[in-house]
Amino acid sequence: MSIPDYMQCAEDHQTVLVVVQPVGIVPEDEFFRIYKRITSVAQVSIRDSQRNLYIRYRHHYLPENNEWGDFQTHRKVVGLISVTTCGSAKEWPQTSDRFHCQKDVFGATLYDSRLLVFGLQGEIAEQQRTDVAFYPSYDDCPDVEKRVEDFVESIFIVLESKRLDRATDKSGDKIPLLCVPFEKKDFVGLDTDSRHYKKRCQGRMRKHVGDLCLQAGMLQDALVHYHMAVELLRSVNDFLWLGAALEGLCSASVIFHYPGGTAGKASGREPSLAHGQGQAADAGKRHRPGAQEVLIDPGALTANGISADTSSEIGRAKNCLGPEDIIEKYKEAISYYGKYKNAGVIELEACVKAVRVLAIQKRAMEASEFLQNAVYINLGQLSEEEKIQRYSILSELYHLIGFHRKSAFFKRVAAMQCVAPTIPEPGWRACYKLLLETLSGYSLCLDPKDFSKGSHRGWAAVQVRLLHELVYASRRMGNPGLSVRHLSFLLQTMLDLLSDQEKKEVTQSLENYTSKCPGGMEVLTLPDGLKLPPVPLSKLPIVRSVKLLDLPVSLRPHKQKGLLENNMSSKSPFIYSPIIMHTRGEERTKKIEFRWVQGDVCEVQLMVYNPMPFELRVEHMGLLTSGVEFEALPAALSLPAESGLYPVTLVGVPRTAGNINISGYHTSVFGVTSDCLLDGLPSVRTSGCVVEVIPSLPRLQLSTSLPRSAHPLRPSKEELSSSVSVQLFNGETQQLTITLENIGSEDLETLEVTSKTCNTKEKLFGEFLSWDLEEAVSQLPLKPGQSVTLTVNVKVRLDFSGGENLLQDLNDDGISVTGLPISSPLRQVLKPRAETKPLGSESSKTDYNHVKTLEAVMTFKYSGGAGKMEGYYRDLSLGVHVDVEPSVFFTRVSTLPATRTRQCHLLLDVFNSTEHELMVSANNNQDLVLHPSECQRMAIQVAKFDFHTLPQPDQEAVRYTNPKLLEEERLHAQASMISSTLGITWNIISFDGEASVEGVLNQLVLEHLQLAPLQWDVVVNGKPCDCDIIADCKVGDAVPLEVKLTNRSKNAVGPFALTVVPFQDYQNGVQNYDLQDAVTFIGSNTFYIDMVKPTENSACMGALLFLYTGDFYLNIKFQDDSAGQGKELPPSWFGLPSVHIKALEAPIEAGA
Amino acid sequence: MAVCIAVIAKENYPLYIRSVPVQNELKFHYTVHTSLDVVEEKISAVGKAMADQRELYLGLLYPTEDYKVYPSHMIIVYYTPVCMFFILIENILLYRHTRYGYVTNSKVKFVIVADSSNTSLRDNEIRSMFRKLHNSFTDVMCNPFYNPGDTIQSKAFDSMVSAMMVQAS
Repeated sequence: MSIPDYMQCAEDHQTVLVVVQPVGIVPEDEFFRIYKRITSVAQVSIRDSQRNLYIRYRHHYLPENNEWGDFQTHRKVVGLISVTTCGSAKEWPQTSDRFHCQKDVFGATLYDSRLLVFGLQGEIAEQQRTDVAFYPSYDDCPDVEKRVEDFVESIFIVLESKRLDRATDKSGDKIPLLCVPFEKKDFVGLDTDSRHYKKRCQGRMRKHVGDLCLQAGMLQDALVHYHMAVELLRSVNDFLWLGAALEGLCSASVIFHYPGGTAGKASGREPSLAHGQGQAADAGKRHRPGAQEVLIDPGALTANGISADTSSEIGRAKNCLGPEDIIEKYKEAISYYGKYKNAGVIELEACVKAVRVLAIQKRAMEASEFLQNAVYINLGQLSEEEKIQRYSILSELYHLIGFHRKSAFFKRVAAMQCVAPTIPEPGWRACYKLLLETLSGYSLCLDPKDFSKGSHRGWAAVQVRLLHELVYASRRMGNPGLSVRHLSFLLQTMLDLLSDQEKKEVTQSLENYTSKCPGGMEVLTLPDGLKLPPVPLSKLPIVRSVKLLDLPVSLRPHKQKGLLENNMSSKSPFIYSPIIMHTRGEERTKKIEFRWVQGDVCEVQLMVYNPMPFELRVEHMGLLTSGVEFEALPAALSLPAESGLYPVTLVGVPRTAGNINISGYHTSVFGVTSDCLLDGLPSVRTSGCVVEVIPSLPRLQLSTSLPRSAHPLRPSKEELSSSVSVQLFNGETQQLTITLENIGSEDLETLEVTSKTCNTKEKLFGEFLSWDLEEAVSQLPLKPGQSVTLTVNVKVRLDFSGGENLLQDLNDDGISVTGLPISSPLRQVLKPRAETKPLGSESSKTDYNHVKTLEAVMTFKYSGGAGKMEGYYRDLSLGVHVDVEPSVFFTRVSTLPATRTRQCHLLLDVFNSTEHELMVSANNNQDLVLHPSECQRMAIQVAKFDFHTLPQPDQEAVRYTNPKLLEEERLHAQASMISSTLGITWNIISFDGEASVEGVLNQLVLEHLQLAPLQWDVVVNGKPCDCDIIADCKVGDAVPLEVKLTNRSKNAVGPFALTVVPFQDYQNGVQNYDLQDAVTFIGSNTFYIDMVKPTENSACMGALLFLYTGDFYLNIKFQDDSAGQGKELPPSWFGLPSVHIKALEAPIEAGA
Repeated sequence: MAVCIAVIAKENYPLYIRSVPVQNELKFHYTVHTSLDVVEEKISAVGKAMADQRELYLGLLYPTEDYKVYPSHMIIVYYTPVCMFFILIENILLYRHTRYGYVTNSKVKFVIVADSSNTSLRDNEIRSMFRKLHNSFTDVMCNPFYNPGDTIQSKAFDSMVSAMMVQAS
């Protein structure tokens, strides 16, 4: 007996063994269908006694094992059921013969046999035979169970008779010696008459009877017999049989204590238990309610006689073992078995049985000792299959007692055994299946989600090995998909624990496998129902942060102000609170401030890290989104070995509007595609993943006629979509053509243009940028692909005033502009200075060559399409950067009174700071050519300005504005008026521009250029008279002289006294005031003007009489009589013209 | 002679494991791992009996002397992913090693695997080894920079363990 039955358990001792075998050709599935039906009859209660017979069915049993039937009767085949197919009557004799042959195999031990014939019909089938049953087909055999029950009953009758026969053996009769096969030769020639031999025979027979009683359902009797057998055999040191008797005792006690059986549900027992009525019903039937403790009187045990009537002993001795004792006795029995090398199988089976009992008793430690022992039992050379069986049963038993790690260890050993190199056809499938079962023992779960929390904790070395084995086994069994899944799992979960070399190897083999079978995200289901969840490789590369990026400035949508909905979604009642209320979870779902636009490319920036010691190629890296239809545009990247944080931008286009949630990303690494969801990656930092996608808006592309700016605008808060730069001379005007093309898919419906000059230190005069939008607007709506142009005038007019540096150079004239203007007869004030000024010092030159910059931002606000309905628009801003090169400078300005009181001369020192010849011209003036770095004076005669005609700022504005500002504004208005009147232009070769004096004019000059509030008009001879006008009159005629005062000031002025003093200028510096005899006044030479109220005028009249011919001048002296009123009027208000009168010879007749 | 010394956390994962024949470290991982079954069994058994006055020393985990030892020929399939081949590792089932267990009050377990061919190792020697180990482990835990639950990387602990392995040999 060499093959142990690892499924055995203690209660098998009470069963009878029936072998069910096919005879001839029986289809396997049909046979097992019948077998199943037969085995459902596992327990038969005998009609006239209250006993049960338990049957153990086997479809395969070694005759060799049958030889041990005397030793333990449950090993003896007592029944045979043959199943056969017989098509015709002709075959019947042959079939019958075969059946008899089979009977002969177990012949010696068989109590009874049956033959089930299927398919035979006819007269043979009609004959009634007890040992043969005929059925027309496998499907039509309703009374198989009934037949089997009858058969079992007949077995019982034989069993019962045998039991009685053996039990009633008279002590006088010679008891035959029962022995096991290997003992037979030992007893040859032994003295059969010795007391020792007799006792041995008795003991063995007792034990045998005990076995029979147990099988026949007489538990109490069996216990008694076993007890007696133990006593007898112990005395003769028949250890093998003593062990068997002890084991029998244990079995009987176990059957008594644990009527539910010890096999456990997990046991792969013969279907006799697993099927049929089911475990629970089985257990209930097995329970014997009347079982009471059987007592035996040790005194009743006689050495030589076996009392047939055991009933007298019942109730006197306590012969059922307690739970503790069972184990003790098992131990003892096993130790006895251990003495015989040939009883290895018996010992092993006993160990297994004991472990099952201990498992029920929950005594794991002792059970493990039994198992430990079982491990060491040598059964000689085992076949590979037996080894596998052995290890898996060990594993199962360890599992039964709760030693999961041990169980896993043996299961793994069994798995390895399946593919041992000595096996010609390695069972990789079985190996893989067994390996999978070990996972729980090594606390491995193939769901990567369990590993995402915190660092890995476990038996890494062991787990890595196991995973490697799984990979290899799955590959060998021809399922590369599984290998890929396991390898990905290994990489994902054990990455930190792998060495660099291992990482390399693992990834290499992963690549090998994926070349055959790419890894995906689907759940793999194994044939036995185990599901392998997908493994996203979220560590290749490791993503540290996910940041959604706003659209580029030019494409950002803005909400119309008026349509702003109330998005004050603050949860706190406070406007500001230092307590930032957010949690991690909230952060992820937090909505982001900015918006994306449908149809526009949106970006998400990931910070990734490559933990591998080699370059990592990630392909098809894209975004996973929800909420909005999103077209992800995958990217491929290659990360250098052990890279630091590496920014990666993933892009995509939302195709519909709504809230989009970036839920994760998709990668393909080493041929494994994985979808990594951010929810499962707590280590990823993100500032929110939900962003609003608004309906699509048109998109404008801007191009200009000017070159793009190489350098961005100076630090300004605004971000610009583009900028242009141009270099202009101060005062130059340039046209900038802007072409706006609709490159989006929506119609452009509205367009607004605004501009803003950036804060600049330079004072800017005039409008920098000006345009006319109407033509462009008239072309709207703009279809996609169309374009519109807009012309913008860029006019630079910076301060033309020169610094103080050059003042000295020209400070020669010393023309005083203060004090009363003198009525100089000097006519030709304008005297171009012939001499060329030498170049100023180098330093001063560089000062003038300093290039100034002007910057402005033009903003194009446009909208259209569905986005416009929602109130969104887009901004396109164009930065205009102008480098202003100096052209001309007015280094100095002064005024000279002109000959007329209403006019004056403006003297400008013009400096050419360019390197070209420059021509300056002003309104009604001749051109002035300036060589590079030349400074010349230019005089322009201008009429004085009446600033009162300038529009007054309205009262509302005045009230709220800073007076200083108002003043400035006023000055500015005055200056621009002057400037436009002057209209100074310059011309350099082909460029021309204008120059403004605005910045040059100071208060003093302004005052001189301004018309005084008191306007004096002198009318001589009815003719208005001014400095350069010579009034003619005749000698002897009275010349009427009228002086008229118009008050334009705000206050009343006067009264004044005016004295007219005539004099003669000899043009040589001598002025003759002694003219009493040449000129006489008619009336007083002093005029009085009464108080003149504002805006009124007053005139006084007088007359002169010239007595001689000649040139006379009238100097009107002024005397303020209003001194009493305490206010002095500025002298410049009294700019009375001097009057030049030419007295001519009166006609002759007049003189007569 | 101690051939392997392991410290196992309360949650039954290794905090520290070191063995003398370095080339076959995996074997000791398996050895110690399977010992945990017994350790747990013993702890739960003791825990019921007396909670406070517990003997920390668990004694022999898997005795070997009582049973006869047959060489069992085990074959472990091993491969490296690059070139696959089989390495035969024999005697993985051979219990030439005796394992002793010890558990602290915080359920941290120490396992010492001793070469059972060395019979001079007496029970009280094992006990003193465990006591030393426990003291050293306490020192490790007192290190403010040590995170309970992390693998032990203390040099002092390491040198103590190697001293124990050498000293006992």
